[in-house]
Amino acid sequence: MGSLIVLIILIALALYAVSIYNRIVTYEKRYQNAWSQIDVQLKRRADLVPNLVETVKGYAAHEQQVFEEVARSRQAMMNAQSVNQSAEAANMMSAALGRLFAIAENYPQLRANENFLLLQEELSGVENKIAYARQFYNDAVMQYNTLIETVPAVFLAGPMGKQPAVFLQIPEGDREVPQVSFSAPSGAPEA
Amino acid sequence: MSDETTRLPDQFTEPGTGRRINLLDYQAANMRGSWYLAFFTLALLVAIAYLLAQVTDPGATIFFVGVAALIGVGQGVAGFWFSDKIALAASGARPATVEEHRYLVNVSEAVAIGAGVPMPKVYVIDSPAPNAFATGRDPEHSSIAVTTGLLELLDRQELEGVIAHEMAHIRNYDIRFMSMLVATLGAIVVLRDLVLRWSYFGGFGGSGRRSSRRDSSGGGGKGQGLALILLVVLLVLAPLLGALARMAVSRRREYLADAAGAFITRNPEGLASALEKLGNYSGERLQVSEGVRSLYFVNPERRMNATGLWATHPPIEERISRLRRM
Repeated sequence: MGSLIVLIILIALALYAVSIYNRIVTYEKRYQNAWSQIDVQLKRRADLVPNLVETVKGYAAHEQQVFEEVARSRQAMMNAQSVNQSAEAANMMSAALGRLFAIAENYPQLRANENFLLLQEELSGVENKIAYARQFYNDAVMQYNTLIETVPAVFLAGPMGKQPAVFLQIPEGDREVPQVSFSAPSGAPEA
Repeated sequence: MSDETTRLPDQFTEPGTGRRINLLDYQAANMRGSWYLAFFTLALLVAIAYLLAQVTDPGATIFFVGVAALIGVGQGVAGFWFSDKIALAASGARPATVEEHRYLVNVSEAVAIGAGVPMPKVYVIDSPAPNAFATGRDPEHSSIAVTTGLLELLDRQELEGVIAHEMAHIRNYDIRFMSMLVATLGAIVVLRDLVLRWSYFGGFGGSGRRSSRRDSSGGGGKGQGLALILLVVLLVLAPLLGALARMAVSRRREYLADAAGAFITRNPEGLASALEKLGNYSGERLQVSEGVRSLYFVNPERRMNATGLWATHPPIEERISRLRRM
């Protein structure tokens, strides 16, 4: 009788451990998926950049410095191997694009260019999605870290070799207003 | 990413009352409530049909009850599967294309990412009156419709706030509950109108005579007279009760969706400022049928944004001040 009770308790404990294990894995997958969502948007932005640079060059060919800056950030984006490198390159690109659009403000003809307006809206849309995806990622990381650092999951996370994930830094002033969006919503309906 | 509960915190403070709400419980309550509504409607329809049969032709009871049961089940199924299409069609919404409404589609995609819900289908309503609503049965089958007036009036952060509010309705399963409610009320109203019209054409003539005869003879008309009274009471009360229940619940819903929406964007001011602009709008009104009015972001009937028993929405000023206190 006594051994039966011990057995039942052991089985219950094992089931409990399995459920905690599953929870840790689920939360881990969750933040990793969240990263892939950011990655999709970063790639989309990198794809839009050459087109934008070409358009701006047509009106402001002598602004070499900013073009180089954008090209460098794109190169860094392409070469990024880890989440941290990607995030760093992404911040570089946000800054470079912000400057590019600021310069574009000085060229009224450029700002009237339909292709430019389209790219501007697309890019500020992507920029916005990156900001939300990053917020989502950080939330998922926080849930994961909280889980593996608190009782009871902490007892399993150690042996499983789980380390806390790293938050993505939000560049200053980036979240409040997407850098490339200007006052008048360019994509607002004409009708 | 379809994994549930990624984004919003499980616990949420109800604005105003300060009560802690567990969002998972809240979602479960909405799904349960949807079933209750379906069964309530079915029971009500069957009861009315039964009484109707007693008053008119007790021999045809089975026929009356059968038809009512069919209508009841039908409206439940329709509420679940088609009410989004009905609501969209009734408001004259058309799908927003990337070419025409790139801005709206971009903003919706961004907020959906932030809210952790699949991208809803996005619709546009051609009307200068700024407004929006969400409909559907679950996050995987959901739609958001906004008016062209809303797109013109709001800036990006304000639009994000409104879209986030609608995403919160989707996330909380408010859309399913509201869809069932709209379908239920629709069925009751149709039934009431049917009976009223039919009675004008002398449907109750026979029973009327019988009940007057009852006073003198006290004969077999007694049961039928009672049934008639009950029937009238049911027909008058049912829509009233339904409407009151709907209004009470949707006011709470709006506050909670405001809070959850502000959390999604991390920017209560965007939503507050959108509400302010909508509150100050005094142009052309949106023509919306009575049944779907409570779906909207702000009440399309301006005079009904007032406080009181009949308000489907909380007063805009109160919504703004709660957001600004966050």
